[in-house]
Amino acid sequence: MRSILLGIVTFLVIVPDLAGQEWIVPDDKKGKLSTFQFDENTKKSGEKIYSVNCISCHGTPGKGNFLKLVPPPGDPATDKIQLNRDGELFYKVINGRGQMPSFKNALSSDEIWHVISFVRSFNSSYKQLIMPVITSSAYPGAVIKMMLSYNSSDSTIVLEADAVKQNSSVAVTGAEVKLLVHRTFGHLQIDDIKTTDINGKVAFKVPANLPGDTLGNIQVSARFINEDTFGSVSKDTILTAALITLPVSLVAERAMWNNVRKAPVWVILTYSLGLLTALGFIGLVLMKIRDIFIIGESVLKDSEKINIT
Amino acid sequence: MTTSHSGSTRYRERVDSVSKDILRNVRFNQGFILWMGFLTAVLAVCLFAYTIQLRKGLGVTGLRDITSWGMYIANFVFFVATSLVGMLISSVLGLIGFKWVKPIARIAEIIAVAFASIAGLIIISDMGRPDRLPNVFIYGRVQSPILWDVTVVTTYFLVSLMLWFIPMIPDLAIAKTRLNGRPAFLVKAYELLSINWVGHKKQVKTLNEAGRILLILIVPLAFAIHTVTSWLFAVTPRAGWDSSIFGPYFISGAFVSGTSAVIIAMFFYRKSYKLEKYLTDFHFEKIGRVLALVSIVYIYFNINEFLVPGYKLKTLDEIHLKELLAGEYAPLFWGVQLLGLLIPVILLLFKQFRKPLPMVVIASFVLAASWLKRYIIVVPPQAHPFLPVQNVPVEWIVYTPTLIEIAISVAPLVLALMIITILSKLFPVLPIHELAEEETLAVDGHETDLAHIDETAVYNEEKKANNN
Ligand code: HEC
Repeated sequence: MRSILLGIVTFLVIVPDLAGQEWIVPDDKKGKLSTFQFDENTKKSGEKIYSVNCISCHGTPGKGNFLKLVPPPGDPATDKIQLNRDGELFYKVINGRGQMPSFKNALSSDEIWHVISFVRSFNSSYKQLIMPVITSSAYPGAVIKMMLSYNSSDSTIVLEADAVKQNSSVAVTGAEVKLLVHRTFGHLQIDDIKTTDINGKVAFKVPANLPGDTLGNIQVSARFINEDTFGSVSKDTILTAALITLPVSLVAERAMWNNVRKAPVWVILTYSLGLLTALGFIGLVLMKIRDIFIIGESVLKDSEKINIT
Repeated sequence: MTTSHSGSTRYRERVDSVSKDILRNVRFNQGFILWMGFLTAVLAVCLFAYTIQLRKGLGVTGLRDITSWGMYIANFVFFVATSLVGMLISSVLGLIGFKWVKPIARIAEIIAVAFASIAGLIIISDMGRPDRLPNVFIYGRVQSPILWDVTVVTTYFLVSLMLWFIPMIPDLAIAKTRLNGRPAFLVKAYELLSINWVGHKKQVKTLNEAGRILLILIVPLAFAIHTVTSWLFAVTPRAGWDSSIFGPYFISGAFVSGTSAVIIAMFFYRKSYKLEKYLTDFHFEKIGRVLALVSIVYIYFNINEFLVPGYKLKTLDEIHLKELLAGEYAPLFWGVQLLGLLIPVILLLFKQFRKPLPMVVIASFVLAASWLKRYIIVVPPQAHPFLPVQNVPVEWIVYTPTLIEIAISVAPLVLALMIITILSKLFPVLPIHELAEEETLAVDGHETDLAHIDETAVYNEEKKANNN
């Protein structure tokens, strides 16, 4: 009787949980493929991205040391993840679910493919399929390309999108595009989402105070909002479009968090003056004690003298 | 001249009788040996526990990544707090001119000296690598409240020691000739420590000046030690510590714990040192009022400390306050606030409770609650770190002091009791000359100048007058 009850309870508890664990990817997303070949470079880049963004939960691939969350994140080297098709992995990383965060804004499409390239390197039987032509319902059969350039005269980043089919090329018009710039933590969107004009061009205004690296470089990436219509094209480029930023060490100047030689002057003064004042008064009191001693000595001597005479 | 002379004879008689009563306790009787033996045995157990911690590290305590300040730091805050009473009694009340604090002042200083000297040791017990203590001084940063704390606690200890010793110099001079039957080293020590005191006019004047400087100096110092101790917490953005009134909150709390410690000590000295004549119901009545007053001030600060964040309820404050007022720590919190603060205040408002026996009971509750209050100030706020806690064992999140930790935490109390015992067995616990003077004054109705009374001084002045 008890075991039956127990059985029912476990069933009730486990079944909805199992159902919840199935992560269904829409059919049209499953077939998505990378447009470039995975190689040693994409794998290396992916490893870097993995160790910043994924390792905290998924652990080191092959070690099985992922966090014990429910549902579990899983080890990327195992079947749990390797049995996914490339498109499924891409979809899951883009969208996330439950404790698995969405990397929609944190990583560009290229970066996600790099991570997948790294994850696949743990699967010896993996054979990559490539999709050289971006499928686009608006420009059937054409390869869609994006070009990014910086126009310093009005500080805009100009994007030009073309659909190339055999030898002819037409401008991709009326496509919504988003421009992101890579920051230390995630990506920053530049300007609004904009629509390409009749020439397939769109200009994004770069904020005047956008910090770049020591050369003023920033890494930008652009992608279509409506990937069904225009294909999931994205473009990552480095542009010299931002302020030259020379990093100042946080311990270069006097600060509360610095070592004692670089302490703020007011702290040194307050501390030393306070201490000196207290010690000064203590010294004064010690002098008085000495005075008492000396007075006593002379009085006692006097009294001896008087006693003798 | 005649009145002064009759005053001086009466004074001498008073000195004789007062010093007889008070010096009776300056000796190593059987009770002393038994008591010290007991304390030594307890201390040995505590030290044994400490050797375990030294060998195995802080892992033998309940301290972990999340709660890294536990019982030791709570104990430290309690010791610093209690030592503050020296300043309250001798300085604040003394300088205002309350005569009744005279017999209590030295008791308060003994407590201040004992508790302040031990406070630093507690910090060492909280160190996993005490051998690295010198680094505090080698690499200490003036920006760090920890260095400020080391500085002010040391200075406060020194000044408290002086405040205990300097007013005692005339007593040592009085006592050195009245110590027959005591060990020779003690007589010699009195001789040395009384630094040629003969009660000369100039000596009296200098002594008063020195005392006055110290009484004034100790006020900012005492405020500094406990304000800085509160800053160890308040300079962090952690909910429960991130408070701008932590300084005064700690100081008012310190007066509560210190005053109750003094009441317990007074009760003890009165009974076992047979000092009923000097520590009278009147003194208890007065100090009872002080305890009520400082407790009311502390209640006021408590209301501030909890109402303001409770009104705003910032997310982390809310978590902390819920845990404290209605969660895991609620029984402790309300127990402390009711049994250790609110009910004592209400009782102390009635005259019947400001008598020695009821007061020692009340003070014991207040003192125990003061210790627990430090515990709930230190420990619960750490249970809610800013970053999510995942995948760690429960005992890393919920802090529970281990037996070893508790044993080590008992050591400071034992050491403080040892210091108090030794100081009050070696030296007079009440000010002989002041009590004698006071009683002479009561009889004569006018100030009797000490300098005119001292035997040598009188003798010398008479001689000098004759010579002229
Ligand atoms: C905060 C923890 C966390 C981080 C960071 C994280 N993941 Fe996950 N991940 C999870 C969890 C939890 C699941 C399981 C989710 C579910 O099944 O509902 C998961 C699931 C997945 C899956 C699907 C596994 C399956 O069963 O099909 C993939 C693929 C994945 N993560 C890849 C990544 C990649 C790539 C990164 C870094 C860019 C990453 N994750 C970062 C927690 C995380």
